[in-house]
Amino acid sequence: MDEERVKEGEEECEIEYVSYGGEHHLPLIMNLVDQELSEPYSIFTYRYFVYLWPNLSFLAFHKGKCIGTVVCKMGEHRNTFRGYIAMLVVLKPYRGKGIATELVTRSIKVMMESGCEEVTLEAEVTNKGALALYGRLGFIRAKRLFRYYLNGVDAFRLKLLFPRPELSSGHLIVENEDMPHEESQPELSSGHLIVENEDMPHEESQRH
Amino acid sequence: MQNDGGSKAPQSLIPSGDQTVWTDVSSLLHSACTDLWDGELIHGENFNLFSAMSALEIMDPKMDSGIVCKYYSVDEAIENGAAPIPVSSDKTDDVQCVIDIMDHLLACEATWHKGHSLAQTVFSCIYLLRLERTSSHALLYSYCRVTRATCNAVVSAVSEARTHEEEDIFTMAYGLPLKGDGDEKCVSMLHAVDETISRQLRACKAPLSKKRVLEDIEPLQINPDLEEGYCTAVVCRLRFRKHFHHVITCMRRPQGRGFELARKHIASCLSELECILKSAVFIRSNCACGSCEGEIDNKTTASGRQPIGFDPTLNSRLCAPTPPRAIKILSWKKAIEYFQKLLHDLDIICSFPLDPLFEGVLNFVTEFQKLQPDLVARAHLQLLLVQDGKLYGREPVFAVICKSAALPEVAKNHDIQKNEFISQLGQLVLTSLKILCTNAAWQRRKLGKIIQDWRIMYLQLELAFRKDFGELPSTSNDENVSVKISKHILVWVEEQTYWIALRFLLLGFELELYSPNDYCMVYWYIYVVSIKLAEKTHLKLTSNNDNAKRKGKKKKDHLKDAAKVYQFPPVVLLLQCQIYLAEGLTMRFFQHFELLQKACIPDQMSYLSFSESTNHARFSTLHMYNYFKDAQKIAKELKSSFSGNPDRLAELRRIEQVAEHNAIALNLVCRLGTLDPSLKVYFEYSHHSHFATAVVKRS
Repeated sequence: MDEERVKEGEEECEIEYVSYGGEHHLPLIMNLVDQELSEPYSIFTYRYFVYLWPNLSFLAFHKGKCIGTVVCKMGEHRNTFRGYIAMLVVLKPYRGKGIATELVTRSIKVMMESGCEEVTLEAEVTNKGALALYGRLGFIRAKRLFRYYLNGVDAFRLKLLFPRPELSSGHLIVENEDMPHEESQPELSSGHLIVENEDMPHEESQRH
Repeated sequence: MQNDGGSKAPQSLIPSGDQTVWTDVSSLLHSACTDLWDGELIHGENFNLFSAMSALEIMDPKMDSGIVCKYYSVDEAIENGAAPIPVSSDKTDDVQCVIDIMDHLLACEATWHKGHSLAQTVFSCIYLLRLERTSSHALLYSYCRVTRATCNAVVSAVSEARTHEEEDIFTMAYGLPLKGDGDEKCVSMLHAVDETISRQLRACKAPLSKKRVLEDIEPLQINPDLEEGYCTAVVCRLRFRKHFHHVITCMRRPQGRGFELARKHIASCLSELECILKSAVFIRSNCACGSCEGEIDNKTTASGRQPIGFDPTLNSRLCAPTPPRAIKILSWKKAIEYFQKLLHDLDIICSFPLDPLFEGVLNFVTEFQKLQPDLVARAHLQLLLVQDGKLYGREPVFAVICKSAALPEVAKNHDIQKNEFISQLGQLVLTSLKILCTNAAWQRRKLGKIIQDWRIMYLQLELAFRKDFGELPSTSNDENVSVKISKHILVWVEEQTYWIALRFLLLGFELELYSPNDYCMVYWYIYVVSIKLAEKTHLKLTSNNDNAKRKGKKKKDHLKDAAKVYQFPPVVLLLQCQIYLAEGLTMRFFQHFELLQKACIPDQMSYLSFSESTNHARFSTLHMYNYFKDAQKIAKELKSSFSGNPDRLAELRRIEQVAEHNAIALNLVCRLGTLDPSLKVYFEYSHHSHFATAVVKRS
């Protein structure tokens, strides 16, 4: 889905963050998103998200005016319980103040507490602001999607993996000897290229 | 709709259809609205996200494409004069209008190739939607007919390639009239028109003395001063169309048999395109189109005028499943550039000497992809490589594998190929080749998945061979040919697996998937995989009694790959001034390399071994400096080995540049780094697509 162009900054400015509270918030979200994006979403699209996952949508208010919002969902997807960020908008004059980061962070926190294993979203490859924002939060560019958007622009699928207990250094330890070292420039004959390894342990700890 | 007192249903311009009538439901809707509370929704059981996103609000022009329609149907448009025949009653204007139609059609075709639907591009042409009604206008009719036939041929080619890349939309015709009776003769029809206009051209250029003989030739249009210009402009467009059609049909001939002829037609196409470009000068000087200099470059016609007879909204009902958004047709200039590039790419495919060596195929495909070819070119490459389950439609896969695995010629007839896993291996090879022909983004995802299949293939083969032939002896005794073949094949499978893993990693650079924070581990992984690849290749070659010279070259080739990669990780570490050992980084490591790790590529590589090896890499800067010097030295030496190979030489030059610049940068940082805190290091890919050059600047 579409991401809005956002910049980051440091200062806070009396912003009130509110979790989606009901029908009265819906027109605020719709106005914000409709205003900033050229792609229209039908009202059904909004309702789909905020009805099923009201705890994942947040609004940012400044002096009573709604100036930013994030809309998300989560669910089972191919044996993974994952969160998905569908929309993120902050009004232009309020950008660069960390509001978008705060909105996203709140949503991700709820996802983590709800048991999500990962969070994902798509962003235009040209959307430097969004890519920087999510990059700072630890998202990686998992895939590139060719001509994902109707205007022919590619997208990155961004993904954030939550830490999981089986990824501590206890598993998958192998002794590696003779990794070619630097003191002696290795002669690149076959003898030094072969690395001695022990048997692969713990087949069951393979992740999907 | 007319409102006549509200007592009976108003007359509608839209027919109600079979067994149905229109009726007014305004009051019903009104009551329903007052009956529902805020936030209530009536929906079917299966109302999911897809349904929600496909839903549209009626009469919202952003979603309801019917609102912006001028005409309900093609017939209505024609009845209202949207596509007159002839296009203009004035013969000269008619010719110019037809040229505009030709130009805009070409722009539509290029836009379609670039990834939009046929319905909104080529078939936005009303003349094409009802082709038979243009039959009285020979020029327009023949041109449209060949265009349609070419589009049909291209759809057929891309459909046959059938890799279902993201460009699925390309082949969807949704009931559009792509085929017509007698389309096989369309080219001769076009040729006849070409002949006529060529005669007209000769007639107007002939000196007065000869004119009496040619007097009975009716001119193309009425203004004798413009005759030469218009004839020339029309003829080159017709000829481009004709030659382009021949290119596509020649290239479809199996086993590359039509390539030589295709190249001739490609050359003709390119020359006609030049002519078409030149004709713009004449056309613009005669057209009052009202566009200023800058604007005309964005227009879809040479003249800058809007073409007659196009309406993209007519087909909106044919664009399932969601209503189409408006698209922008490429400009005429960009369209010509697109076709020039397409023809150059097709020419490269046609000049490929059908290398029987598998490595040769891989190299060719890799080099070709650097040109960033579009779908049509890529589909044709794939059609060449994989036909009828054979390489180029003629080399059985098992024979190709044997040759690539450095087995003697007789091996290809061995019974071992009847083994079910060997035939599965053949399938895997062909599938991998097809994937290598797709666009980079899709390709990388598929390669990531297919690595598992290669790994499983290896394990299955190993098991099967052990079962069939017992334990493989460590010193090969040539008496047991089956054992020898199975050994070679296993090594070959590993070698290909590492090659694919390497390609997977390198594609990440092209696709900009890695942030600078990730470089360290990416290069480390590349290094490790390259070493393994070199090891397997070397193993393959040394277990054979081939001539030493060839062996030496290959060895150096792959060791060079390993060497050049080896130079990098230390520098990245130094220049980044930190080594990532934090737990947080483990996550990134696993995310990026999950697919490779699953396939044990390479064996037992883990974050821990990465961090250990990078820990050990705190060595002196002098050593690091030497690595770049060594890379430069090796690159220089290798140049003589590859003197006949321009691609390799270019690669070596790039490596030399990267090594040289990085050596200098490293030197600077070492000398000034601690003294000047304002020094910053950036990485650029200015000299090589996946080895970064360090740039040192004062911030």
